[in-house]
Amino acid sequence: MQVYDAPLRDMRFVLHELFADDGFGGLKKFEEFTPDLLDAVLEEANKVAKDVLLPINAPGDIEGCTYENGVVRTPKGFKAAYDTFREGGWASLASDPEWGGQGLPESVNKLVEEMICATNVSFSLYPGLTHGATTAIEGHASDELKHAYLPKMVSGEWSGTMCLTESHCGTDLGLLRTKADPQPDGSFKITGSKIFISAGDHDLTDNVIHLVLARIADAPAGVKGISLFLVPKFMPNDDGSVGARNGVSVAGIEHKMGLKASATCQINFDDATGWLVGQPHKGMAAMFTMMNTERVSVGVQGLGINEIAYQSAVAYAKERLQGRSLSGAKRPDLAADPIIVHPDVRRMLMTMRVYAEGCRALGQWCARALDAEKHSDDPEVKQRATDFVALMTPVVKALFTDLGFDAANLAVQTYGGHGYIREHGVEQFARDARIAMIYEGTNGVQALDLVGRKLPANMGRNLRPFFHAVSNLCEEMAPKQDKALKAYTGGLQQAFGALQLSTATIAQKGMKDPEEAGAAATDYLRLMGLVGMGYCFLKASKIAYAKLAEGAGDDEGFYKAKIATAGFFFDRILPQATAMFLAIKSGKRSLMALDEAAF
Amino acid sequence: MMEPIKKVCVIGSGTMGAGIAAQVANAGIPVLLLDIVPKEGTDRDAIAKGAVAKMLKTDPAPFMSKRAAKLVETGNIDDHLGRVAECDWVVEAIVERLDIKQSLYEKLEAVKKPGTAVSSNTSTIPLANLVEGRSDQFKRDFLITHFFNPPRYMRLLEIVTGPDTDADLARRVEDFADRALGKRVVRAKDTPGFIANRIGTYWLAVAVNAAMDQGVTIEQADQIGGSPMGVPKTGIFGLIDLVGVDLMPLLSASLSSTLPKGDPYFETVREMPLVDKMIAEGYTGRKGKGGFYRLDKSGGKRVKQSLDLTTGEYRAEQKPDKLPGKADKDLAALVTVPGKVGDYAWTILGHVLSYSAKLVGEAADDVVAIDDAMKLGYNWKFGPFELIDKLGPGKLAERLAAEGRPVPALLKSAGTNPFYRVENGKRQYLTAEGVYRDVERAEGVVLLEDIKRASQPLLKTGSAALWDVGDGVAAIEFTGKMNALDEEVIKLINQAIPLVKANFKALIVYNEGSNFSAGANLGLAMFAVNIAAWSEIEKLIAGGQAAFKALKYAPFPVVSAPAGLALGGGCEICLNSDAIQAHAETYIGLVECGVGLIPGWGGNGEMLDRAAKAKMMPNGPMPALSKVFQTISTATVAKSAAEAQELMFLRETDGITMNRDRLLADAKAKALSLVDGYTPPEPPTFRLAGESGRVGINGAVRDFQKKGMATSYDAVVSDRLAEVLTGGEADIIDTVTEDQLLRLERKAFLASVKDPRTQARVEAMLTTGKPLRN
Repeated sequence: MQVYDAPLRDMRFVLHELFADDGFGGLKKFEEFTPDLLDAVLEEANKVAKDVLLPINAPGDIEGCTYENGVVRTPKGFKAAYDTFREGGWASLASDPEWGGQGLPESVNKLVEEMICATNVSFSLYPGLTHGATTAIEGHASDELKHAYLPKMVSGEWSGTMCLTESHCGTDLGLLRTKADPQPDGSFKITGSKIFISAGDHDLTDNVIHLVLARIADAPAGVKGISLFLVPKFMPNDDGSVGARNGVSVAGIEHKMGLKASATCQINFDDATGWLVGQPHKGMAAMFTMMNTERVSVGVQGLGINEIAYQSAVAYAKERLQGRSLSGAKRPDLAADPIIVHPDVRRMLMTMRVYAEGCRALGQWCARALDAEKHSDDPEVKQRATDFVALMTPVVKALFTDLGFDAANLAVQTYGGHGYIREHGVEQFARDARIAMIYEGTNGVQALDLVGRKLPANMGRNLRPFFHAVSNLCEEMAPKQDKALKAYTGGLQQAFGALQLSTATIAQKGMKDPEEAGAAATDYLRLMGLVGMGYCFLKASKIAYAKLAEGAGDDEGFYKAKIATAGFFFDRILPQATAMFLAIKSGKRSLMALDEAAF
Repeated sequence: MMEPIKKVCVIGSGTMGAGIAAQVANAGIPVLLLDIVPKEGTDRDAIAKGAVAKMLKTDPAPFMSKRAAKLVETGNIDDHLGRVAECDWVVEAIVERLDIKQSLYEKLEAVKKPGTAVSSNTSTIPLANLVEGRSDQFKRDFLITHFFNPPRYMRLLEIVTGPDTDADLARRVEDFADRALGKRVVRAKDTPGFIANRIGTYWLAVAVNAAMDQGVTIEQADQIGGSPMGVPKTGIFGLIDLVGVDLMPLLSASLSSTLPKGDPYFETVREMPLVDKMIAEGYTGRKGKGGFYRLDKSGGKRVKQSLDLTTGEYRAEQKPDKLPGKADKDLAALVTVPGKVGDYAWTILGHVLSYSAKLVGEAADDVVAIDDAMKLGYNWKFGPFELIDKLGPGKLAERLAAEGRPVPALLKSAGTNPFYRVENGKRQYLTAEGVYRDVERAEGVVLLEDIKRASQPLLKTGSAALWDVGDGVAAIEFTGKMNALDEEVIKLINQAIPLVKANFKALIVYNEGSNFSAGANLGLAMFAVNIAAWSEIEKLIAGGQAAFKALKYAPFPVVSAPAGLALGGGCEICLNSDAIQAHAETYIGLVECGVGLIPGWGGNGEMLDRAAKAKMMPNGPMPALSKVFQTISTATVAKSAAEAQELMFLRETDGITMNRDRLLADAKAKALSLVDGYTPPEPPTFRLAGESGRVGINGAVRDFQKKGMATSYDAVVSDRLAEVLTGGEADIIDTVTEDQLLRLERKAFLASVKDPRTQARVEAMLTTGKPLRN
């Protein structure tokens, strides 16, 4: 069974307590949003997630999207759910008030996104892609385009897509062929075929606005000759209503492993009218504005599924009766003990739990940097936030989606045979989670981005906010006498040392031989993610101890659980850092040893 | 034994004459600078005096020190020409007009002593014409000494002798130019433009014409014709802007009027309406409103613009695409890139290299002279014949022949033999007769470059090496990027000490990079800072202190021989040596405060010790303290070795070498002179000013801050420095040991490096190359 109730206490913890001193300062812009107000937003979002999105999650997976005569339909109930969602203002939560958004901070928005992704990740793509598209338009399009499209898109009346992939080019966008012919009126005629377009067409909104990468005639070869265009499905009329059909058609939808209620379309552009967004040949830059926010959001998809997988597994582990505890029966009144008594089941549940809590905390840190990057008045803070976001984006994307899939897998395992059959809806988590490791840049590409671009830039300046924060916390906690905290700190120091050494090794070796950096990339990203989560758990434990010492009242259980959960992380998860370090240290040698012919 | 030159007269106080006079003075030799009597005014020496006054304000400075400026005596030709009798050498550097020069020589002939050398600094007039009508004695005493601008900094001197020139006299001038003026002398034949300017002018003409003909933008031209060919990054058009666009037609006219008929140079001569227009409108280069490049300030912002060679209009600078493949490193690849890039590169190289080959025998005796002339006169990294070797011996002739162009005889006879080879550890060059001969260095010159060719290092780490430089002396060479100091250098020092102790008499620290060392590897340090590797940084500082101290107290003499920049740690290794033998062009300083750090490898104590022991220093700890504080806190860099002595980086007993080529030999001699009875120095104890000294310094710093001469962070850094220099908790009655001072230094360094404001400064320095004033 798919069980979900948003972890509101933990969300409030990361939002209000954990990062009170995040190094990015409070933001004046958000002062009007009091903690109470934000808590209320989270509570309402939880209701929408539980009551509107969760009920159509499993049915939507079974029914899937359909394609007939060029028309794409979402599963039953999706249109109604979308209307409720939109009318409740959830589509415009973090958008700029200038275009009708509510201007909430990303720190809150990312928590709401987590709830949506947990309860219906297929659904999340429709508003999610629209949000990404509005970001790119806001950042790069002309005022005219902004006024014509942003209000409708921000309100959720129209949706958005990003059309990058073509059948022969995925990761290597330099190969793309879609053409853009300049017209006398300043518009362009776009011609070409795109595949794998999420939310590419559907029946939820009146219009679909495509952001399309294409090549203007005579453009330089490769990625330096790609431009970004806005291409609507229907041409808008001056009054904002929907007009004539543009030369955009759907050739079909993909049949996928999961994410079945999200329409993944093949789209043909046939002399479709489009307008340039940003400068000619600078499409990659404009697209990356969108990709970067999207990558963090894809990470949140992993986190969302992680959380619902955990909750669903816990529910089952508490009620499934099989065998007896190794230390003697715990429920002699019943035919057998619930399986939660078993250490190995505990191992699985605790793993899912620390993944979720660790990622939630790390994601929150990153979301606050996103806010500071956009809104801080202090240029130094802004720079620091930009550096931090640049570094953490690939980590959040790859780590969260890897762990999300692992968690979904563990949930299936907890259910045993009942996890493998469709009835309980648990296998859906694994199928739905799988794609997030692939799209928006595969996790391998994220790791390369981290070691190849983010790490060496400006003599490693991107590393500074993160490394200094960890170093300072270790330094602060080292003299603490409490036994548990001492052990946690020791663990983090060791893993951090491994990260520092690995960083220096990669910087040194990678400069001489880029393949060395490539060989270390995935392990290095995981190592950084582990240290990031370790930092969050140590900080959380420090706060929890302080709160308990001053008397936590009703929250006592929460703080005690936080310390115990952190204990599991430091005992059972963080030691993986050493393995990562050893793997990194071995270099590319064994990866490249085998002749190609021997494969 | 030749009589040394003890006094020089320079006639003509224009840029070149005055600059030559300054360089003579820099060598510590008195010089008489004469010019004509001005038409107006009462001071008959005003022109020469004005030239000296102007030089005192010129940057880069022609004088190495104020003391040198005092060695220049000014006068005028009408009243003082008779005083050439006091001089051993007369340099004529007046206007390039044959009649005027001849009439001056006539007057000179009447007053000068026989045997006093007379040389002209002409760059275009043949020697034979200059001495027309002079006595045999004058002809014996006459030669051409062609300096390059600016005379202090350009290391080339072309010497041309005539058939009558006395060989001993010419050698005497050559020896003086070499040892005292620091020039590398190249003997040229009496042909127009001599060597460097003849090839240089041809090169620029070919490159400018080709850019216009082939539709190459000036940015592309400078990219292709610049660093891939080992030419300074000003390339072609950037160089013309630097030397003056208006010089182009002058050079062209002068060479055209003197070169023999049929010289390939004439093929490059053509009308240049664009250049004429530029000169007419005042676009004469950097000295004018701009040249091929300019800064457009019309929009309130400074926008870099470039001249479009086709339209003749300025447009925004266009950064050219990166050169494909290995074309930026491999000449053979460069000239075969299809399209514009390869065509343009080949046009330049094909012409200039074959022209150079043609000039062997005509303008110079051998390829070495031509390569030296271009390397030292035009700052090319490789001479034409070294470029031919890079292109591939044989390939140049092959392609010329394939295109139906004449192949110079030298190229034909060379075939596929390279112009240079190494045989038995010796560099050899190919003569016109087709045999290899050793490249000979001037007498007494020892180069590490040659030693390295003939031997293996005694020790080697990632950033340094130890060499046997002969006569029982070993040398530490820095080998890292920019000769930066890092843990690998420290490692080598630690390994070297026992080895030198066992097998050598003395150690020198020396290298032949363009800069001795700009200090610790800041990029590496910044990376360590970014990943919060504090313990590594601490180890590096402590390790450096220990290694430098080990050098200082080693049981053998250690001499550092800097040339070029010796900054930060590069300065501190010199300070920790028993003696310094510096090249005259040494720019030494403790610049750490500029990036928010303080010296961390013993520089503070060494400077305090020098100040305390200085002769003129008043008693008590305060005067020494304020002198040292001022030097370090303002990150002062000496602009010459002479100035370094005034700033006390060099002691009075330290030596200065004028000729870069002779630095190693001088350093060795210095080190060997210390060997007999050598005992390591006694560790100093310091009497420092303590709290009260700090109060005084802090007051002064706050005052600077109020006046806007120091930023708030400057004040913080100054406080940290003052803490060290005053001995921390020390009281004025306590003495502070060297180790205590080093401990203070480490503490202050670490506090600085952890400060985000220091991090911002270092980062700005690394990314923009400019200091950040936060």
